[in-house]
Amino acid sequence: MNSQKTVEQLIVEKHTANLRRGFHLWAERLVEAPPALGDYRWTEELILSTYYQAEHGRPPKNGMEYRFGRSGGGFDVLDFKFLPEDQWLSSSEQIDLSLPLNKRAEGNKIEIPIPIYGGGMSYGSISEQVMLARAMAAQRWNTFFSTGEGGYPNSLVKYKDHIITQVATGMFGVREETIKYSPIVEFKYAQGAKPGLGGHLLGDKATTTVAELRESVPWVSLFSPFPFHSVYSVEDHRKHVDWIKTTNPKALVSVKVSTPTDVDMVAVGSYYAGANIIHLDGSYGGTGAAPEIAKKNIAMPIEFAVPKVHKYLMSENIRDEVVLMASGGIRTADDIAEIIALGADGVVLGTSELVALGCTRCSNCERGRGCPFGLTTTDPLLSQLVTPEWGAQRISNLFESYTYRLREILRRLGLGDMRALRGRKDLLRYLGKNGNGRSE
Amino acid sequence: MEQRENGNGRYVRYHVETQPAPEIEKWPDRFDVKVGKFGLAKLLVSEIFHYGFKHKEAITSRPCMYGVFSGPVGGFAPRPQHCVGCLRCTTEFPEFVTVSPNPERLKLGDSYFTFNIVNAISYEAEGGMIPVKGAGYRGKFGGQGWEGMWTDMSEIVRPTRDGIHGREFISTAVDIGYKPNFLVFDSQGQALGPVPQVISLPVPILLDALPPSTASEMTWKIMAQASESIASLSIIPLGAILEYNLENMHLLPLVKPGEQEALELLTITPQMLVMQGWDQALFDYIRSVFPESLISLRMPFPSSERLLEFAQKGVHVFHLMANYHGRGENGEFVMDLIRQAHAAFVQAGIREEVTLIGSGGMIAAEHIPKAILCGLDAVALDTALVVALQGRFQGECLDYETSHFTLPNNLNVEWGVQRLMNLTASWRDQLLEISGAMGIREVRRMRGEMGRAMFMVDLEAQSFAGIEGYEFAKNS
Repeated sequence: MNSQKTVEQLIVEKHTANLRRGFHLWAERLVEAPPALGDYRWTEELILSTYYQAEHGRPPKNGMEYRFGRSGGGFDVLDFKFLPEDQWLSSSEQIDLSLPLNKRAEGNKIEIPIPIYGGGMSYGSISEQVMLARAMAAQRWNTFFSTGEGGYPNSLVKYKDHIITQVATGMFGVREETIKYSPIVEFKYAQGAKPGLGGHLLGDKATTTVAELRESVPWVSLFSPFPFHSVYSVEDHRKHVDWIKTTNPKALVSVKVSTPTDVDMVAVGSYYAGANIIHLDGSYGGTGAAPEIAKKNIAMPIEFAVPKVHKYLMSENIRDEVVLMASGGIRTADDIAEIIALGADGVVLGTSELVALGCTRCSNCERGRGCPFGLTTTDPLLSQLVTPEWGAQRISNLFESYTYRLREILRRLGLGDMRALRGRKDLLRYLGKNGNGRSE
Repeated sequence: MEQRENGNGRYVRYHVETQPAPEIEKWPDRFDVKVGKFGLAKLLVSEIFHYGFKHKEAITSRPCMYGVFSGPVGGFAPRPQHCVGCLRCTTEFPEFVTVSPNPERLKLGDSYFTFNIVNAISYEAEGGMIPVKGAGYRGKFGGQGWEGMWTDMSEIVRPTRDGIHGREFISTAVDIGYKPNFLVFDSQGQALGPVPQVISLPVPILLDALPPSTASEMTWKIMAQASESIASLSIIPLGAILEYNLENMHLLPLVKPGEQEALELLTITPQMLVMQGWDQALFDYIRSVFPESLISLRMPFPSSERLLEFAQKGVHVFHLMANYHGRGENGEFVMDLIRQAHAAFVQAGIREEVTLIGSGGMIAAEHIPKAILCGLDAVALDTALVVALQGRFQGECLDYETSHFTLPNNLNVEWGVQRLMNLTASWRDQLLEISGAMGIREVRRMRGEMGRAMFMVDLEAQSFAGIEGYEFAKNS
């Protein structure tokens, strides 16, 4: 058999098999967890439990913590006030997790069965294989994923009904047909990991195919400007929305913004400019490359932004006309439920999908050939470490586990519908800085 | 003054010339990589059987892209200096490959100056680059001090991001000195009252006096030349200036009470003299002997009342010090102390008349804009300089007098100057990033802009109020 394969195939097969075996051994705790794995936000247990969920489609039962990290704030110091067990909904009761993405009277009505879709990760920052895996998982769950800034290869066109086309400040990869294809078009004004800065794609990852889609020069770093140079007011923003609506009248418009101190005003402005979805990306979100100074120090975490925006939209009497999606540091099903209780309608995931595919959060995405696990890379050899089918199954399994846990949370709260959890801060409790006393 | 003039009086845009200045003393690697020899040998044998010698490339294909196993004998002698901690090797071979954070590396710094900050400064001083990495934030959610503060950003307005790319300008210039609130002129148009007396620096960064344990002719020469190279100022004890014949216009003599006679030996007229602690006699003496020079009062953060008293006595430049862990004499954090000092002058209506320089506990690039937002005009770097010069902490280093650092034996002026230039360039570029994100075109306008700062305590109260247990936790 070996003799029929090229050396490259043998090498890819060898490392792919080794890696998948390693993910399994760690997730099952059959070998000791690596000492250098994990950080305050994504602890070693969160990473390994995500591997487990990606393999089994259920939260781990081996005692591994899969709900929260050790960051000492935000999600990690919040918990739910579950009802006494005799008041829980029965396990036979149907729990509805669906989310309508257009709450306005006019326009296309789109509903997703889970309050989750995939966040923008561009072609170039991730491989074509990973994009395909995300697309296939989105199709299976009848939800969406965003292209990020950079367009997408033709291999993804068959998943176009599940693709959100992103239009960002560099306008890389934006083509008329991709806007026409898309049920949802997303304007990225800012990104949580680097608020106020444009996208970065370092030269080593701007391969000839990436550059062709972006209509740029191969192997030259691409820095998207900030902000949109055609948008300096809500009125300008409205013109942007009109442009999309002219190109594709059926498309819903999502506006992705970061979390400045006036994020509530930005949200209201976006609504009046015609947005169907306001997507808040908090400052602890993922990235393929960002200045370290931007990741922690600019703009507020999503846990603080969502309640602020939710409250303001309520006071403006427009809360039920716009969908509020949250991203930026949402790692687990418990985080999803907590941010919805704080006021979001749903969430946008990115990093957790990559962790399901084997990301160790080593922060070397931008370095040289890119990710050594074949995720955030365009290297022809490395990117073969992930096959779309394997990746789609892992992401699907993670979603399966999340929905299982979300239903469990709702059942324990006595709620039959995820929408009923929105803004229910009264169902949360604050644990204090050490995060002790969490319910089982 | 953002620009510098060349010999022809022509405009030259401010720029710090960075050059690689790699470590001159080997610091511990970030990671320990251990490979079980028996496990590796077993693997090789099984792969030889599986692939046969015909596919040698498949057998020798390593799991590491960074060269840890690319030495002559591969995994039998790993090269941890190349390890970036991606963990691919240990994922592929968890039974016999282990990657751990190197405990020796973790020992760099102290409880405040953590090894993460040491790592960042090491990178910045080595190449003058902004640290750019993939993946999101990895640290604690917020916390005490600077960790509990975020800067604002501007979503769609103010196109200052362009400035970073050169089409538009973000000024990092600041003025040190005295600016009266208004000018008075006579009928001939001549100024009657006090006139502005300022030193304009292209960066809001000064070099503070290095602690005594690092003091040597070498280090003072590095400081003197570095401040000239970055067109800023360095604070150097008067005794060192005289002993080592340091002469340039970027030196600020640090003068203690009783050193009046030594001052007469100075061969230059400094732009500013720094008085260590308040002493009326010394202040009067300096004013009489160096009427053209500014005087800075360097002292631990005093109470607001004392600050205003000093201002009434004619002090216009304050260099307010916290200890190296950012704590004042009563334990308050430097962030709060700066806000108090700034507010005292704002409330007195004389903020524009004084300059506030701060030092102590400002050890990372992000601390500069944060300190300026809290009210400083400029920051004097202290322990960050020591780390840039590969200084090692000997135990906890709390204050100027008692802290003990060791510098590399092979320290040399050229290397040291370049390291400090690189650090300044990197921090200035990061200041530009933050300014651009905030839509602030001038660092001068950033000063005291508390509306563009967010504090965890406020955000949490705003967003978590009403959640059971929050009020109790907040008040306890």
